[in-house]
Amino acid sequence: MPETTAGVEYTKVVEIKGPLIIIDGITKASFDELVEIETVDGERRLGKVLEVGFGKAVVQVFEGTTGLTITGTKAKFIGKTMEMPVSQELLGRVFDGLGRPNDGLPDPIADKFLDVNGEPMNPERREYPTSFIQTGVSVIDGMLTLVRGQKLPIFSGSGMPHNILAAQIARQAAVVGTKEDFAVVFAAIGVQYSDAQYFKRSLEESGALRRSVLFLNLADDPAIERIITPRVALTVAEYLAFDLGMHVLAILTDMTNYAEALREISAAREEVPGRKGYPGYLYTDLANNYERAGRVKGKNGSVTQVPILSMPADDITHPIPDLTGYITEGQIVLGRDLFRKGVYPPVNVLMSLSRLMKDGVGEGKTRSDHMEVGNQLYDAYSRAQEVRALAEIVGRAGLTGVDLKYLDVGDMFEQQFLKQAPDENRSLDETLGRAWDVLSNLPEGELTKIKEKHVKQYYKGK
Amino acid sequence: MVAKGKIVWVSGPAVKADGMSTAKMYETVEVGESKLIGEVIRLTGDIAFIQVYESTSGLRPGEPVVGTGQPLSVLLGPGIIGKIYDGIQRPLDEIASKSGAFIGRGVITTPVDFKKKYKFKPSVKKGDEIGPGSILGTVEETPLLTHSILVPPNHPGATKLTDVASEGDYNIDHIVATAEKSGEKIQLKMYHKWPVRKPRPYGERYDPTVPLVTGQRIIDTYFPIAKGGTGAIPGGFGTGKTVTLHQIAKWADSKVVVYIGCGERGNEMTEVLVEFPHLIDPRSGRPLMERTVLVANTSNMPVAAREASIYTGATLAEYYRDMGFDVVLVADSTSRWAEALREMSGRLEEMPAEEGYPSYLASRLAEFYERAGRVKALGSPNRSGSVTLIGAVSPSGADFTEPVTTHTIRFIKTFWALDTRLAYSRHYPSINWMQSYSGYLEDVSKWWKENVTGEWFDLRQESYQLLQKEDTLKEIVRLLGPEALPDEEKLVLELARMIKIGILQQNSFDKVDTYCSPQKQVKMVKLMLKFYKEAQKALKVGTPLADIRAMPIIPSLLKAKFEIPEEQLGKLDDLDRQIDEQFHKQAEAPPMQRSA
Amino acid sequence: MSSNSALERTISKVLSQKETELISQIDSAYQESLKNLEASQGKLEGERTKIVESARKQAENLKRQIVGSSRLAARNQELVIIETAVSNAFEQAKRKLADAGDKESYKSLMAGVIEESVSSIGSGKVTVECNKSDTELVKRIIADLQKKNPKVEASVSNHSIDIIGGIRVKSADGSMTYDNTIDSRIERLKPLIRKNIAQMLRGEE
Repeated sequence: MPETTAGVEYTKVVEIKGPLIIIDGITKASFDELVEIETVDGERRLGKVLEVGFGKAVVQVFEGTTGLTITGTKAKFIGKTMEMPVSQELLGRVFDGLGRPNDGLPDPIADKFLDVNGEPMNPERREYPTSFIQTGVSVIDGMLTLVRGQKLPIFSGSGMPHNILAAQIARQAAVVGTKEDFAVVFAAIGVQYSDAQYFKRSLEESGALRRSVLFLNLADDPAIERIITPRVALTVAEYLAFDLGMHVLAILTDMTNYAEALREISAAREEVPGRKGYPGYLYTDLANNYERAGRVKGKNGSVTQVPILSMPADDITHPIPDLTGYITEGQIVLGRDLFRKGVYPPVNVLMSLSRLMKDGVGEGKTRSDHMEVGNQLYDAYSRAQEVRALAEIVGRAGLTGVDLKYLDVGDMFEQQFLKQAPDENRSLDETLGRAWDVLSNLPEGELTKIKEKHVKQYYKGK
Repeated sequence: MVAKGKIVWVSGPAVKADGMSTAKMYETVEVGESKLIGEVIRLTGDIAFIQVYESTSGLRPGEPVVGTGQPLSVLLGPGIIGKIYDGIQRPLDEIASKSGAFIGRGVITTPVDFKKKYKFKPSVKKGDEIGPGSILGTVEETPLLTHSILVPPNHPGATKLTDVASEGDYNIDHIVATAEKSGEKIQLKMYHKWPVRKPRPYGERYDPTVPLVTGQRIIDTYFPIAKGGTGAIPGGFGTGKTVTLHQIAKWADSKVVVYIGCGERGNEMTEVLVEFPHLIDPRSGRPLMERTVLVANTSNMPVAAREASIYTGATLAEYYRDMGFDVVLVADSTSRWAEALREMSGRLEEMPAEEGYPSYLASRLAEFYERAGRVKALGSPNRSGSVTLIGAVSPSGADFTEPVTTHTIRFIKTFWALDTRLAYSRHYPSINWMQSYSGYLEDVSKWWKENVTGEWFDLRQESYQLLQKEDTLKEIVRLLGPEALPDEEKLVLELARMIKIGILQQNSFDKVDTYCSPQKQVKMVKLMLKFYKEAQKALKVGTPLADIRAMPIIPSLLKAKFEIPEEQLGKLDDLDRQIDEQFHKQAEAPPMQRSA
Repeated sequence: MSSNSALERTISKVLSQKETELISQIDSAYQESLKNLEASQGKLEGERTKIVESARKQAENLKRQIVGSSRLAARNQELVIIETAVSNAFEQAKRKLADAGDKESYKSLMAGVIEESVSSIGSGKVTVECNKSDTELVKRIIADLQKKNPKVEASVSNHSIDIIGGIRVKSADGSMTYDNTIDSRIERLKPLIRKNIAQMLRGEE
C-alpha cells in the first residue's frame, strides 16, 4: 500500500523567503509532493514542492512562513500530492481554504481521495453544453444565457453587488423542464467574512445549504492557501458531478485574490514576470481551474462554473480579467455607471457575452425568437448608447427622429428589462415579453436582426 | 547508443537529467518510471534539459530517463483525416479508451489504425524510376479524399523500383514497393515518419494567385487571402476570433483543413467534433469531418505539448500539400504557443526580451509562417499544392502593440483586425474595415474576373470608398451632430450603415447567412451600389432624404443575406427590379404629397 | 294659446332633451362606476392574490429553510455519533496491537519495517529508536541486516520511546527522520480505515 509508506522528515532548512522554504539534504522528494511542516512550537502547516533537485527542495507553505525558523523547523515529505477526501456527506459541510473541516464537525469519512489538481478533461469525451439554465434574471436569460456545463464569470469592481447576483443565480437556477436541483459548491477566496456569511445565509434561507459545500478562505486567512481553495472546491464539484451524477454550480469568489497569491509566490521565486508582475504562466494556471467545468459523455452530472473577480480599478484590460475572458465562455460585466444609477443587476450588457447562448436557446430549447431578440436588444441598446453620447455634445435638437426613439428605448431597456429585484424570479416568457415591449417602441424597419415571421408574431408597435 | 540517464531536478514541465552525454538535441526521451514523453531542448555537459509533454506531478530525482534516438516526429499515412490528436499526435479517442474522460499520463498510442485495410491502387510499376516525394499509388482515405502514398522526402535520390504490390487491400504497415539503390533494398510502406520541426522539402515556390473562398463576405470581397498565403487574426477576448476561424475551417474551398487548438477552450474542440460530422461541404455534399484533422492542446493540457502542437499541425498540412492538395492550416492561438515558449525559456533562465518573451520569438514566428506557400511538390507526377496559414493572435488587453502581434504582422500578408468596440455593439464578424488589409487584392482579381465577374474589383473599391468616406464624416458628426451634414453626405452615412448591416455583418449561426457564395456576394454589393446611385439621382431632383430612408426596399436589402438562400439567388434580381420600381414611384408622386 | 303651446312644446322638448341627456349621463355614470367597480374588484383581487402569493412564498421559504436546517442538523448529529464510534474502534485496535508484541508475525513485520526505514534514509550512519520491550528484537534484526549488507551502519538508541511498536530512524546528524512506528502507521491508515468502520457501524457491510 503506497499510501502507508512513511514520509521522511527533514530538519535542514537553509532559506526562508516569502511564502517559500528551501530544504537541503533531500534524498527522496517528488515534484508537487505534499509536505507537513512542524514549527518549533509544534504548530502544523502544509506545503507543497515547487522544485526539487540537486539535494534541495523548494517548498511553498500554504499558511505562510511567519514564525518559521531555520533551526527547529521540521518538514515531512508525505509521498503523495495533495488530496481531498470526498463523499456524499460533504454536502452541507463547511471547510477551510485547504479543505479541512471548519464547522466543528469531524473529518469527513471519505469514499475516496482525489488529487486536488485534477486531470485535464479529454475534449473527445466532453459533451457539448446545450441545456438552458433559467436563472430568473432577465438580462442573463434573455441576452447572456447560462448553459449547463458552462463557465461564465462575473467581472465586477469593488463595492458592486456581484455576490448578491451570484447568490440570486444560486437560489433561482433551474433547468427548465426538469426537477433536478443544483448542488452548490462555494469557494470564498480571500473575501470578507460578511460576504461569505451573506452567501451562507442566502443558501440557508432557500433551504439549499444541505445540497451545498462551502470552502472558506477569508480575507484574514493565509494568502497562499488561496492557491488551493479553488482546487479543492473544484475537486469536490467534479466528484459530485461525475461520480454522483449531480448538477453542480460552482461559485468561486474572488479570483483576483487567487491571482495575487500566485504573483506572490512567483515573486519569491524570482521568476521573470509577464504583464504587471504576474507570472507568465498565469494563463495556464487560471485555465487549469476554469477548464474544470463541463459535461462528460455518458455521465449525468455537470459542473457549471461562475467565477467572480473584481477588476482592479474597474479595468477590463488588467491581466486577471483579460486572461480570464480568454478562457471562459463569455463574461458578465458589471458597470459602475448603472450601479450609480441604482439599477440592479448593473450588468453592462455591451461588454458582456455568453458564448454558449447560441447552443442553449431557440426552437425546441427555449423559443424560436430568443436569439434574434437578444441580438436586436444588443443592437438597440448599443445604438442608444451612441445616441446618448451624441446628445451630450449636440443636444437633442441635433438628433433625428429615429435617434430620439433610440434614446427612449435605451431608458426603457434599463428600467423595464434590466432592472429587477434581487428576489424577483422571472419566467423566460416574461423576460422575452419585456424584451418585445422595449423593442416595439422602435419602427418595424429598425428590427434588422429579426426574421420577418417573428416580427409579425410578436411586434406590438404600429 | 541511446542515452540512459537519471533525473536530477524537476520543476513543472522542465526536467534536468544527468548521464545524458549521448543524447541528441531535440531527441524524444522517456522520462521517469511512468515513461512520460519529453524532448531534449538543451545540452550542457552530460546534463540534458528536457521539456516534458505530460504532467510531471509526482516525478522525483533518481528516476530514469531513456533516449529514443529519434527527434519528435509524426506518422504520415492514411488514417489521419477525421482524427483529433493531442500536441504530439496521440489520438484523443484512444487516450480516452485507455484512461477515461480525463487524460491520464504515460498512455501509449498509435497515431493511426494499423489494422485497418485500405484498397491500394498502384500508379507505378516494377522498373519505374522514382525519387523523393514520388507518388506510388493511391488509397481512398475518406469518400472526400484520395490519399496518395508518397515516397519519403529523405529517400536517397532517384531509384528504380524492383517490386510493386498489386492492387489490393493492405494495412498501412504493408510494403507496397521496393526500390534499390547501389545494391541495397529500400522498402516503402504506406506511411513514413517526419520530424515536426523540419519543414518538408518541395520543388519550387509559386506566387499565390487563387483566392481561398471562405464564404465570408468581409474576407472574400474586402480582405481576401490567397491559397498558399498567410493571414493573422488578432483580437481581444469576445471579439469572435474562434468563431471566425471555425467559419473558415467550415467553408473554405480547400481540400484539407488542419485545425490546431493551441491553448484554447476544451469545449471549442468539442464543438468542432460535434458539429463538423453533421455539416455538409457545399461543394462535395459530404460531411466536413471527412476533410478535417484536429490537433488539440487545450489550455489545461501540459504546456510543453502546446509548443509542439503548432509543428505537428504544420507537418500534417505539408504532407497533404505534397499530395497536390490545397490545405488550410488554422492555428488558434499563436499567442498561447508564444507563451509556452516564454514559460520554457523562463525555466531555462534565458535572458528575456519584451514582456518576458525570449529574444528568438520573432525568428520562431517567421519560421512558422514560412511553412505556408503554394509549391511544386517533389517527385513524379508533376503537381502543385498549397498550405494557407492562418494564425489567431490573442493580444493581452486587446493591445496590438504587444510583442506577439507586432512580430506577427511582419510575416503575414492579410491582416484581419478584430475590434472590441464592434464586438460590443454585436457587429460580427468584428473585423475592423479601416484597420484590416490584404496584400493579395490585385493577385486574386484575375480569378474573380475569370470565375465570377469582371466587375468584382470595381464593386469592391466603390463600396469600400463609401466606408472610408463615412469614417471621415463620422468625425464631423461626432462634433456637430448628423443634422449638420448636407443631404448628399447624410446619404453616404445611410449607405455605409446599409453596407455594414447588409454586407459586412454576417451571422455564423444562421443557416442561410453562414455561407455566402462569391456570386451572391457580388450581387449584394451591386444592389447596394445601385440603390446608392438611384438615391443620389432622387436627391438631385428634390426627393427628401427622409422619403428615401423610409423606402420599403431598405429592410429587404438588409435582410437579403438571411432571407434569400443560395438556391434562390434569382430573388436578388427581384430586389433589383424593386429598386427601379420604388424610385420610379417616388419620382411620379407630385411634390406636394411628399412629406418633409 | 298658440304661442303658449309653442312655448310649452319648446319647454317640453328641452325638458325631454335634458331628460335623455340626464338619463344618458346617469347611465354612463352608472356604467362608469360599474366599470370602476369591476376594475377595482379586479385590482382588489389582484392585491389579494399578491398578498396571499407573497405570504405563501414566505411560508414556502420558511418551510424550506426549516426542513433544510433540521435535516442538516440531524445529519450532522449522525456524523458526530459515527465519529465517536470510529474513535472508540481505533482505541480498541491500538490496545490489541500493543499486546501483540511477541507474536511471530510482529517479528517479521519489524524486520521489514527496519529494512525499509534504513534504506529510506540513504547511506550513512543511522540511529534506530524503539520502545523498551522491542529493544532486544530490534538489535537482533539489525545484526541480521548487517550480515546481509555490511554497508549498513545502524545502532540502537539508548533512549527508548513511548510507542505501541515499530521504530523511528534518524540520520547521524539528526537532519532526517523516518517515522515508521505502528502509531504513525495507524494515523496514516486512519482515513482509509474509517470508511470501513463507518460502513460496518451503519450496517452497510
